Parts: sequence; C-alpha cells; structure tokens
Amino acid sequence: MDRYRLHVNGRQREVRVPGDTPLLWALREELGLTGPKYGCGVGACGACVSLVDGQAARPCVRTVEESEHTRITTIEGLSARGDHAVQRAWLELDVAQCGYCQPGQIMAAVALLARTPDPDDEQIAEALRDNVCRCGTYPRIRAAVRRAAELARGDR
Amino acid sequence: MITRRSFLGTAGALVVAVSAPVPAGATTGGGGPLAPTVFVRVDRRGTIVATVPKPDTGQGVRTLAAVLVAEELAVGVADVTLEQAPGDTATYGPQGIANSTSARQLAQPLRTASATARCLLVAAAAAHWDVPAEECAARDGRVTHPRHRPLPYRDLVADAAALDPATVPVTLTPPQDWRLIGRTRAGRADARDIVTGRAHYGIDTRPEGGLVAVVARPPWIGALVESVEDTGALAVPGVVAVVRLDPPGAGQGGVAVVAGSTAAALRGRETLRVTWRGGTPDADSREWLADLAAALPAAPPGDLQRVYRLPLLAHAPMEPMNATAHVTADGLRVWAPHQDPGGLATQLARQLGLPEASVLVNATLAGGAFGRRIEPDPVAEAIACSRATGRPVTVRWTRVDDTRHDSYRPMSVHRLSATLDAEGVPVGRHHEVVTWPLTVLPVFNNPAIVRASGDHFPYTVPGEVSVLLRESPLRTGFWRSVYAGQFGYAEECFLSEIAGRGGHDQVDLRRRLLPADSRLRRVLDVAAARANWTRGVDAPLTRGVACHLDYGSAIAVVVTADPTRRRVVGVHAAVDVGVAVHPSGVRAQVEGGIMDAVSTVLGAQVTVRAGAVVESTFGDYAWARITDCPDIDVAIVPSTAPIGGLGELAYPPAAAAIASALAAGGDPVTGMPYGTPVG
Repeated sequence: MDRYRLHVNGRQREVRVPGDTPLLWALREELGLTGPKYGCGVGACGACVSLVDGQAARPCVRTVEESEHTRITTIEGLSARGDHAVQRAWLELDVAQCGYCQPGQIMAAVALLARTPDPDDEQIAEALRDNVCRCGTYPRIRAAVRRAAELARGDR
Repeated sequence: MITRRSFLGTAGALVVAVSAPVPAGATTGGGGPLAPTVFVRVDRRGTIVATVPKPDTGQGVRTLAAVLVAEELAVGVADVTLEQAPGDTATYGPQGIANSTSARQLAQPLRTASATARCLLVAAAAAHWDVPAEECAARDGRVTHPRHRPLPYRDLVADAAALDPATVPVTLTPPQDWRLIGRTRAGRADARDIVTGRAHYGIDTRPEGGLVAVVARPPWIGALVESVEDTGALAVPGVVAVVRLDPPGAGQGGVAVVAGSTAAALRGRETLRVTWRGGTPDADSREWLADLAAALPAAPPGDLQRVYRLPLLAHAPMEPMNATAHVTADGLRVWAPHQDPGGLATQLARQLGLPEASVLVNATLAGGAFGRRIEPDPVAEAIACSRATGRPVTVRWTRVDDTRHDSYRPMSVHRLSATLDAEGVPVGRHHEVVTWPLTVLPVFNNPAIVRASGDHFPYTVPGEVSVLLRESPLRTGFWRSVYAGQFGYAEECFLSEIAGRGGHDQVDLRRRLLPADSRLRRVLDVAAARANWTRGVDAPLTRGVACHLDYGSAIAVVVTADPTRRRVVGVHAAVDVGVAVHPSGVRAQVEGGIMDAVSTVLGAQVTVRAGAVVESTFGDYAWARITDCPDIDVAIVPSTAPIGGLGELAYPPAAAAIASALAAGGDPVTGMPYGTPVG
C-alpha cells in the first residue's frame, strides 16, 4: 500500500491504498465520507459528484493518485448545517424523494452557480444532464437551482 | 399497569386499529413514557417519538408519519422525532411497502395512537386543574385552559401514563380542524440529512470489523457455477475469501469475492476465473416477444384492432442492490434497504431455522426501490458470505450487476379490439394479453391474479379481458404499477386512437364513457381545465390524455408534446387520493410516475442478446435526464374519500398520455417505447 495525502473539505487527510483506487472508495471507506454516493462507478450517473479544485468532478472515475495536490470538497464540506444557498433552496422546494442522487445534484449545482450565477433553464439542464435522478425530481431540481441563484444573490 | 389486551378490551367505541401488542418498556404507566401503542410515545422530557414501521424508499412514509402524529398531538411536524422500526411483524403489523399501501395502512393506527396520547395528556391536565376535560385544549405541545397557565406535555406525561386509557374518551381531530393534514408546507422528514450528506442508506452500512463482497454473476441467463479458479483473486491484497453462492439458497448464484474494501473486492473479482454451465446462452428478447405475439388467440370480431408490444424494464434504483449481514452463534443481524423488513425477518428465521427473536433486520433508508427491493436475494448473498467468514459482510452490487441481474418487468403483447357504434364510440371491447408471470412470487403464475393486477378499465364499455401466461425465460418481478402499467397503457392508448379515428376529442370521449358523478370524471375535468384543453395547441405541438383508477385513487393526465423533437413539453395531472396527507409528497409521487413514463415511452428498455442483458448502466439504459423533463403541474383535487394509494397511480396514464400525444403527430402507438423496435 502506498500513502497518499488528500486535501478534503479543508483538511489534510492521509489514505493508505493502491494509487489506482478510485477516489470515491477512498472517500467513502477510508475517510468515512459517505455523502458522495456510489451509483455506477463509471461516471455515468453523477451520484458521487464532488468538487475538485472548484469544478464538478466524479470521484468514481478519478484515482487517488491523481487526486493528490487537488482540493476536494464533498457534500459534507459544503455546510454541515445545510445553510448553503443551494441546500436552502433544496429544502425550501422539497426537492428530494429517496435523496440518493441529491448530494451529486447539489454539488453539480454548486459548481454551475460558481461559474454561472444566474443560469437559465437550458444552462441548468446542460450542467446537470449527466446527473441521473431515478425518482423524477428534475422539475424541482430545475426550480431549486433557480431559487438557489436568487438566494445566493440575497434575494428573498 | 394497563396491558395492551385490557386496553383494547375495554376501549369500547374507541377505534384502535392496531393489532400490535406493546413491547416491554413501551407500556403506559410505571416510570416510562406515555406510549398508547408501539407507534407513538411521549417521554418524560416531552419528546414525541413516532416509530415508523414501514421503510422509506423515497415514497415519503416517514414524512407521512410525522405529519399524522404532529396533527393529533398538536405540535409542529419538526417536533416529532422519527425512529425506524426493525423487522418485527408481530409487534408492528404489516411492514411491507408494496401495492401503494403505506398511507392506507398506517394513517389510522398512527392517528389513533397519537390522539390517544393527546387525550390522556388533556385528561391529566384536567385532573390537575380539577376542570372538565372539554374545557381544555392541546396546542403547541401544551395543554391550555382559559383560567390556568398552560402545562407543557413534559409536566403531564407521568400523570397521563398512570391514567386508565379505558376511562378517557379518545377523539380524532376532525377534518375541519386539521392544521397539517392536507395543508402542511413542511418538507420531507429527512431532507436536511439528505442535503448535508448525512442520510444513511443501506450502502453506507459499515459495521465494526465489516468486510465487503462483490459477486461474479452469471454471464448469461440461468448459468450456474461449474468451477472456480480463485488463486489470483486470493492473492489480491485485501481479499479475505472467495465464496461460492449456489441458488436458490444464496440468491441467483455466482462467486463472491470478500475483501477488506470495495476496491480490493472489485480487483479480486477481475482476476477470478469461473467456468459456467447450463442456462440459455442463446436467448434473445426479440424471439421472446415473437413467441408472445404468436401465442395471441385468434382475433375476435371488432371494428378496430391494435396490437401493442411492451419491453422488458429494469428497476434501476439509484442505490444499487446491497445488503449487510452478520451471522453469529446467537443469531443473525441484517441491515438492508428492503421493502419489507418484517416479512424478511420472518422468512430468514424460517429458512435458517432460527427463532424470530434472534433475527434482527434493520431497515435503512433506500435509494429508490420501485418494487425491486421486495426480494431478498442480496440479503441471502450477504448471509452466505458472513457465514463463510464469520464477519459482518456487505454485499455490493455494481451498477452493471444491478442492471443485468434484475427481476424485470415482464414483456407483454396486448391486442385491443373495439366494436364501434355509428358515431365511432366504443360499445364493446376485447383485450387479450399474452405475458409472463412474476417469477419472484409464485402466486402470480395465475392468469386471474395477473388480470386482477392489470385490469382496471374504468369506462362504461362492456368487454372481455383474457390473459394467457407463457413460461418466463428470465427472472421477473414487481415494477411500479405492476401489470397495470402494461394493461393501462394499452387500454388508454387504444381509447385515444379510437377517439382520433372517430373524430372525437380525447377528453370528450372519455367524459361520455364515465359516470357523471365519478371521481375520475372530476379529475379529468380539472386536468383538462388546468391544461386549457379546449383552447388546443398550435402545430407542431400535440396532446394526449389518459385516466387511471386504482388503489382507491383517481388520476387524469394531460400531456403536451412536440413530436418533431420527440419531446414532452408539459404535463398537467389532477389527482384524487382521498386525504392528501402531505401535499408536497403527493405531488412528488405523481411527478415521479410521470418521469418514469417519460423515460419508458421515449427510450428506456432492456434487451437480451446472446443470453445476456445488453444494457449495463445509465449510459445505455436510457433513463430520462433533466434535459427531458417537461414542466409538470399536479393538482390535488379536494376529496372526502378515504385515504387512497398513490405511489403506483400516475405511471400508467402518464405513459399512455405521452404516447398518445406523440401519436397525434405521427404513427399510431404500437408499443413501448413509442416508435422504437421493441425487444
């Protein structure tokens, strides 16, 4: 086993795993961060989406080795109390059904709003098109991203 | 001390629709909490705890419980603490979530238990003040009286728990006084845990000392393990054991690689060499469909006929199948995202020859279910792996495992025939179905049962429905709406085609064929009005309508589509579910059924070639994305009907309305997905 230093949610962490271990399993099983969900393991569903250097990334198709020297933010690092604008919008519009895909949806929305503070529906759809929701919460996700943009701007 | 039996026996007119005995520690009286039944207790600090007997897979039963208990105990929804009951049917009654029963089975026992607690608290306060109970009221966690300072529940619990419930009349809060039921704007009970990543699903279970297993599964349908070469796998760092899983005891069969981590187990599985035998390596779903079509009986007389071909569908919940088990000398512990923890516990105890008390099934949240998680196969695998290693083991299915080793919705072929009057209005009908039974439940190997599941034709057109079952060539199971998803789709698509051919409006024809005072006609009128139906749409937009009556609920769906882009643009649904306890949750279930319809009518199907399921992930099992999502409007029609089922209500009509809208701009509907080769 090799040692890798990972910068996760503002802290330096160390994992001892083979370098080609998918980052997702290191986060979930070595660091106990189970917020990013396993949905497919091949980058096809978005349930694990987290931020890597501020960009939406899929830890299931990144290795631990290539994740060194990056800044990783999982859903746990967004706001433990759930008071980030995106989380508040998700609560206000009661988006979740089973909730399993929502950490990935939320992190994808956070990444979108960071670069496009006032997205239209097309931009929202484009940014979240590879985040699958099997319960059918898409209409609420779309509305919640718009609402999060308002909240982030300080609108009521 | 009041025993459960004496309480029930002396309760008189009090309606306590709870069959469950009160377990030790949860009885009223003594120094414990106020706990009229196993479902509700108020502890000495005034904390209100609801024990939710059924698991939440996204259908919202935990929220439903919080709303009902909060209503009757006169507190806010957020003031109710939720506990999830373990699998224990003797204590909690039926714990399965199937057949859209969550609300219908739980509303009465939860409300009654909470109302009993409230009335006991009020009685205790009345006794304390020496005033009639009728002068007191429960409000915001306190009992009030015009001439006294309010008493918080925590100060009343001891006295209330010491009262003889048989002496206290219990009244449910009447509908005109409801603050929360049907009105609350509260969100999902677990929403904050979900948005912060804290929500705990089955896949997040990691007991102390726990191992992880992944399974090499049959490469073609029905294949069995002939031999295993596991030297390479056992040499992978972290791999602990290789366990042969033989059906039927250990699920569908395969070879498990058990390791200290998922990554190691996956690496081990890659190096495993398994030789397989038997099964059907040449199976092809196109041939299966042809076999079903060839088995259609001779066509009955009729003025219009249409044959519909429907594909295999996978459940594909976002959380892939998984289960954790720990077999010890004392018994068995299971953690599973399962649809029936009580039934599972009973089944496992019987299979393993253990007393039920030594089998503990913990029901976790589930990342979707849709009928798949009523089956125990992942649990059986975890038990086999734990038994082989003596450690707790979590079996994880990969997404590919999940897609390719599902219990699929059966393929089906439907021939609809109609006799029309001079105006082109149907006056007689035939619906002949050829399909497979559900292999996961033998009782479904019976045409009458299949028909009862599928046939809910609500219109005043006399007719005959026949079902012919062929042997299923692969594992089939419950898929949201079960056979109604197939029967209802064909019936409603056909009715819309009849309307189009006769020059009738899709809504008008349905109104003619429904009794004037029917709930279905009412929701149809509401949906049509909200969709501005009479105004019509401009080219290239088209419209489709469908209705459905099932589970004691009624729904109508109006779809606007753009066939030139193969897109659903807008959906208006109106639903009568009797009492809509949690309005946002009611709308969510309808939205979910609509999105399932978008997915399956526009593209998702499972195909089999060379003995194996072709689709593997969401990359090729073409489930809807946000880019496919229409605007959805769901109207909850006020109703005085008893509480109805909901989870499986919206899918059949939504699918039919979407297909009918697409067909209004092109070829008639002949199957599912629309305009796509099936199988």
